[in-house]
Amino acid sequence: MSFLLTCPNCGRREVEEFSFRGQYRPRPAHVESFEVRANYVFFETDHEGKRLERWYHSSGCRRWFLVERDNNADPRSFWFSDLDRP
Amino acid sequence: MNVRNDDSPHLPARRGAVSGRGERAGELDLTGSRLTEHPSVQVPRDGLSVTLFWNGKPIVARPSDTVASALYAAGVRIFSRSVKYHRPRGLFDNQGLGSETLVTIDHEPNVRADRRRVEEGMWIEAQNAWPSVDFDLMAVNDALLPLLPNGFHYKMFHKPRWARRFFDRLIRRAAGLGTIDTAGHRTETRYEKRYRFPDICIVGAGPAGLAAARAALAHNRRVLLIDDDLQLGGHCAYSPVIVNDCDDRDLCGLSEQMAALRLIDSILGHANLEVLLQTTAVGLYEDNLVVAERGTELFKVRADSVIVATGASDRHLVFADNDRPGVMMARGVERLIGLHGVKPGRRAVVVTCHDRGYETAQMLRGAGTRVAAVVDARVKLPSIQIVSDLHNARVPIYGGETVHSANAHRTLRSVTTGDLAGLQANRTISCDLLVLAVGFKPTLGLLSMAKGPPRWHDERQIFTVDELPRGVYAAGDVNGYGSFARLYREGWEVGIAASRGQASPVSVREGSEMIMVLPADIESRGEKHFICKCMDITRAEAHRSIAEGFDQVETLKRYSNMEMGPCRGKTCYEAVARLAARDTDQGTGRPAAEPGMSSAAHSSPGRPADRTLAEVAAALFQPPCAPISLGVLAGRSRHLAPIRRTAMHDLHVQAGATFFGMGEWQCPHSYGDPQKEVQMVREGLAIIDVSTMGKWEIGGPDALALIESALPGRFGDLAVGVMRHSTICGKDGRLCGDGMISHLTAGRYYISTTTGNHSAMDSLVEWWITDRGLDVHYRNLSSVLASVHVTGQRALEFLQELVDIDLSNQAFSHLSCGQAMIANVPIRLFRTGFTGELGYDIHFPAEYGESLWHYFLERGEPHDLKPFGMEALRILMLEKGHLIPGIDTDGPAAPCAAGVGFPVGDDRAHLVGKAFLGQFEARGLDNNTVPYKLAPGAPIPPDGVVILDSGAIVGRVTCSRMSPTLGHGIGLARVAARLSAPGCHFSIRLPDGRDVEAEVLAGAAYDPDGVRLRA
Ligand SMILES: [Zn+2]
Repeated sequence: MSFLLTCPNCGRREVEEFSFRGQYRPRPAHVESFEVRANYVFFETDHEGKRLERWYHSSGCRRWFLVERDNNADPRSFWFSDLDRP
Repeated sequence: MNVRNDDSPHLPARRGAVSGRGERAGELDLTGSRLTEHPSVQVPRDGLSVTLFWNGKPIVARPSDTVASALYAAGVRIFSRSVKYHRPRGLFDNQGLGSETLVTIDHEPNVRADRRRVEEGMWIEAQNAWPSVDFDLMAVNDALLPLLPNGFHYKMFHKPRWARRFFDRLIRRAAGLGTIDTAGHRTETRYEKRYRFPDICIVGAGPAGLAAARAALAHNRRVLLIDDDLQLGGHCAYSPVIVNDCDDRDLCGLSEQMAALRLIDSILGHANLEVLLQTTAVGLYEDNLVVAERGTELFKVRADSVIVATGASDRHLVFADNDRPGVMMARGVERLIGLHGVKPGRRAVVVTCHDRGYETAQMLRGAGTRVAAVVDARVKLPSIQIVSDLHNARVPIYGGETVHSANAHRTLRSVTTGDLAGLQANRTISCDLLVLAVGFKPTLGLLSMAKGPPRWHDERQIFTVDELPRGVYAAGDVNGYGSFARLYREGWEVGIAASRGQASPVSVREGSEMIMVLPADIESRGEKHFICKCMDITRAEAHRSIAEGFDQVETLKRYSNMEMGPCRGKTCYEAVARLAARDTDQGTGRPAAEPGMSSAAHSSPGRPADRTLAEVAAALFQPPCAPISLGVLAGRSRHLAPIRRTAMHDLHVQAGATFFGMGEWQCPHSYGDPQKEVQMVREGLAIIDVSTMGKWEIGGPDALALIESALPGRFGDLAVGVMRHSTICGKDGRLCGDGMISHLTAGRYYISTTTGNHSAMDSLVEWWITDRGLDVHYRNLSSVLASVHVTGQRALEFLQELVDIDLSNQAFSHLSCGQAMIANVPIRLFRTGFTGELGYDIHFPAEYGESLWHYFLERGEPHDLKPFGMEALRILMLEKGHLIPGIDTDGPAAPCAAGVGFPVGDDRAHLVGKAFLGQFEARGLDNNTVPYKLAPGAPIPPDGVVILDSGAIVGRVTCSRMSPTLGHGIGLARVAARLSAPGCHFSIRLPDGRDVEAEVLAGAAYDPDGVRLRA
């Protein structure tokens, strides 16, 4: 994996400048059961196909952004996505 | 096509050069193998002025030699022993493709001798042979050859179990390449990563690569030209063939060698050109990333366009004992003559199937080697000038024949030739050199990585990779063998296309450029017919593997290890595909007839493309396409992990400080004696640079909301001018840091945290802001502000002289914060006490770092103010029982394990980790971090040792020091909760086996009530 990734803030940069920080799902509300909230923290579905991911431009502008990525397709299939707030 | 010398054209080919001896061609140049001139190519004329040592024996060489050419000229024929059967192996391709020339040079294993320039005093050792390459006891494996079949390590020695262990050890010793230098002779070696961002990266500096560079430079592009050889020019650097009909008229009529030199002259020194020689491109990745290796450096080249002009190498030919020293590839022989002025042998046989092979024969004759025969697989010989020249010179030419076997006693003695089917041997010709000139196979590694497995190109009878991704171009021999004029034009056109971002022009090959006859492999029996020399795989073994069901090239390659050796398939990929096509009936996947039976059909001259071969894809090339040392891959990449120094770093260096790394930061460890530095603080006054702490400022309408969602405490009641300590938890409720939260001015908060993980903290805070869409002004001031801590009972008295605000206990009590000026520099002032004494944190713009540090020391001189380091600070904090999250706690530590237990109200909806904090309390603690003390005089355990209770391990020491203030050892330990109550005892196991008794303390060992902080 060594492609160029487009930071919404900086433009095309080496992918190694970025950190992948896991899948993104909206935070469960605090009224949800402990089990629901524990699952949110500790489990990822890691499913095939399209999914929302959290990426962070760690060696660059330090901006967080969400991408929608299809892990069946070309590793460069990134689509930027608005944050889906709970 | 005539072969001629530039200086004296029309030289009779026969005249040749007398095998000249160099000026110092002393006793070791036994073969008389040095040339100083050649009728058709220029050879180097430097004297034998370098001495190197081959297995301890001195050898003289020319400065222009490679290690391989120097050894060869000195008569060395056996360079190494093969990996499995320990068969003698000698110079073969002479351009660093295969495993034959791997040697150890000055303790560096697996150096390709044909890619390393000689240096005075080099100590060269043969590998994989015992006791020596010339007499290798392990060669007994050769006699066992049929007993060590392919995949034998999967199949044999499974039972009984002891046998597997025994044979494993035996096989380990017998197999393998060089030995790793565990004695550490090369510990000074440093590996670096380098980065380049050219417009166009050209891999390969042959005629096509050079022409492409010329075109791109003419279009004002920045060009990076990479070649793995020692000189530019590719195969033209030593080729005597005359250039005809070239688009650059100035090059016509020259030899390819001279034309290449002129081409190089026309671009070298151009401001937009960078040339990397002896640099091997080992991978091509997405978005045009070329990864190349040069010695201890790894280059990462990101280019708009990549032009792959990696050329081609000689085809491999399969026949009995085809691995014997003395069997060489045509270009290897030409390199010996043209690049190094070495006569390759006394009597040579050239086996060929196309016109270019005759040029090699003529070149050999020019070097004084007698050509005993040319064996051409074509029945009808071409009617070209060079063939009649050879005829006239009474060189026997046998059409419709090929080599059946090489006959050798260690090195080559003769070859047997015969019909193409391998059924009838016609004659045995004595010779010490057999030259394989049976066509060329493109070097497809990089292209295959860009696109996929190579496909058979019917018309050109080679494997190619087409439909390249955008921005990747191929030019030159890699698209099929071509004349100089053809390669020049193709390179130029591709260079223009790449410069303009256009599609690649269509590649054209015509007439004699097409080598339509495939090598006539001979396979009868096949037991010593080597296909993959690197991994020692014979034709018969490969055939058996196919019969076992591994009939797809990819699985065959993995099962048999073919193409997995040091040549990475460059030597054998085409031969492997040839035999896979032959052995498999594509319809059923069942093995075809016995090997040998079908070879005639496959090698018939002029036979149309082999349908089966067209259906077999060659195996996909995987990176790296050349061997690469692990050091190069592991080398530092500093740009992603910068070393950070505080603004006062240079002053600490001048003061004689020692440093240590804390995350990315370099911190002063001490200025000499940490114990004395502790006493300085306790006795009255000292200063420390704490610029490495994390510093954030948070303002805006949602500032309080952000802080309260991030930190477990409540801060709504935090008055302006006051600060409070807090832990920081992750979303799983675990402790990940701690810090001070200050309410600087109304609605504006300032957080400072421990050094170490503030990059991680920063990313967390940024995420919380992003995720929750909070309206805050957030600034990371960690590097913007420098900070010092002035501490000791005289700190107030000293600082009051410097600042413009009232620091008295009433006006600025413990845990106060505010803004002030010192020497006209705006500062933020915080009264803290983590050393256990009265202390002030002073934060100020980093650009004043040095001047304020000077100012403090100068004004502090009458007060006896001296700096102290992080080691003294650690001891001071230990004496107070302060722990550092992450060091004195571990991953699964709950905040209450750090003594920070508190209830979290239900109204804290957004608190990070809230779901878990309650759970931790309910569950109770397994382990706890507690301060302890040792008896006076007891030895100080090192950090990290285990804690025992009744013989069982119950914890570990996280930090242990001698307290100069208290006069006995103190520390922090993470122990089982049942042992964490004040007054509990446990024993600490020292590395020497002794135990030390420790007693758990209720709190700080020093000033437990914090009287001194508030005084
Ligand atoms: Zn960015």
